[in-house]
Amino acid sequence: MRKVMIVDDSVSMRQMVGYTLRQGGFEVIEAEHGQDAMDKLQGSAVDLIITDLNMPVMDGITLIENVRKQPNMKSKPILMLTTEGLATKKEQGKAAGATGWIVKPFDPEKLLQTVAKVLP
Amino acid sequence: MSDPVPGSPSSGIAEGEPDEPGMRTEFARYLPHFSLMSKQLRQTSLLIESSVVDVCKSFQGIAERAKGTVGRTAGFLSREGDGDSGKTSFEGLIENCSGTLIKILSTTEEAGEVSRRAIDRIHQMDKASQLISTALAQLEQIDRENKMLAMNMRIEAAHAGSNGAAFGVVAVEVVSQTERSKKVVSQVKGLIGGLRELAQSTLADLKQTNEQDLKRVERCRQDVDESLRDMQVAHDEMKTVLTGMTEENALLANDIGSAVRGLQFQDRTSQQIAHVVDDLETLQLKLNTRNGAAPPDGFVSGEGFSGYTMREEREIAGIGGKESAAGDVELF
Repeated sequence: MRKVMIVDDSVSMRQMVGYTLRQGGFEVIEAEHGQDAMDKLQGSAVDLIITDLNMPVMDGITLIENVRKQPNMKSKPILMLTTEGLATKKEQGKAAGATGWIVKPFDPEKLLQTVAKVLP
Repeated sequence: MSDPVPGSPSSGIAEGEPDEPGMRTEFARYLPHFSLMSKQLRQTSLLIESSVVDVCKSFQGIAERAKGTVGRTAGFLSREGDGDSGKTSFEGLIENCSGTLIKILSTTEEAGEVSRRAIDRIHQMDKASQLISTALAQLEQIDRENKMLAMNMRIEAAHAGSNGAAFGVVAVEVVSQTERSKKVVSQVKGLIGGLRELAQSTLADLKQTNEQDLKRVERCRQDVDESLRDMQVAHDEMKTVLTGMTEENALLANDIGSAVRGLQFQDRTSQQIAHVVDDLETLQLKLNTRNGAAPPDGFVSGEGFSGYTMREEREIAGIGGKESAAGDVELF
């Protein structure tokens, strides 16, 4: 079963994204912020990361930059899932190494279609 | 005399400056309300999040239960059945019942076939006994002719005198043999008669039993066919119900998906409330400092209000910028 990590400081968002992904047949790991995600990635390989942008401790852009530094994570798909829709922020995410950008609120069916597209 | 107006030449106070101590007192009265408002807004945000989390957990339970019910019913109806528990599926049960009933009918029909063969053999035995009776009748005729022959022989022996004595003895012997033969024929006739009666009665019983068996088999076949048809109808109805349940399940999943999209208002609301709280705290800090309190390390007057992260916030604040709509997906 494919494994997806959800990174968001909102409990309810992690629940809703997690529910959607589990309905799609994925195993889900949750993290509260970027640093929590980095810690959990040490112990668990994932197929995809879906992360929020604005989080305490470590934000989404910093998380992506740190993840891309890992040798086995250079080509791992990372989707940004955030309320932020500014073009400048998107460019920052793209430059950091994000695979895609989804503006909240997400449509569950669209999310699963996007995940299917980015997973090899 | 009224208080000098700040900014007027006689006031000694620059425009915008708080007049000591009146403004400070006024500020001091209202400043604690900022903390209170911040706390209330945070509390509201947490309550909303808690409710949404509970609703999401319920969705998870609903979806899993619906999926489980449909899955178990499908497994019960399918040909594969439930491999884990070893239970046979409903279709498998129908097939087993059908096979068993057909075997029972076949066995009953074979028994009927045996009866029919027995009837045929008894018929053959009866025919054979008829032939034996015919042969006995012929023997009786031979006996009668022998008797006539013997009488003639005695008459001729009497005519022949002493020369015919031996002839007379033979004639007597022939009569004796004829009498003995007659007795044997009579015994055999009796036995044949008894056998034929027995065969006839057995034949009658077998015929009656066979006819009854045929009728019972036919009734059983009709009952079996009707039961199998009823089982098939029940199976088809269950399949229709299952199809309906599967469709309902899909609709339920769609409804839950719509609800998930709707519940995401909580995340946006929480962010907006958090930004307002941050701004209230910053405002309180600025006013405290303005009121004469020592500013915290690193505090710079004129800065510190939150950066907005959502289009709705920027629209209210009049801040422009090219941005995507909610729900947009872009792959790089």
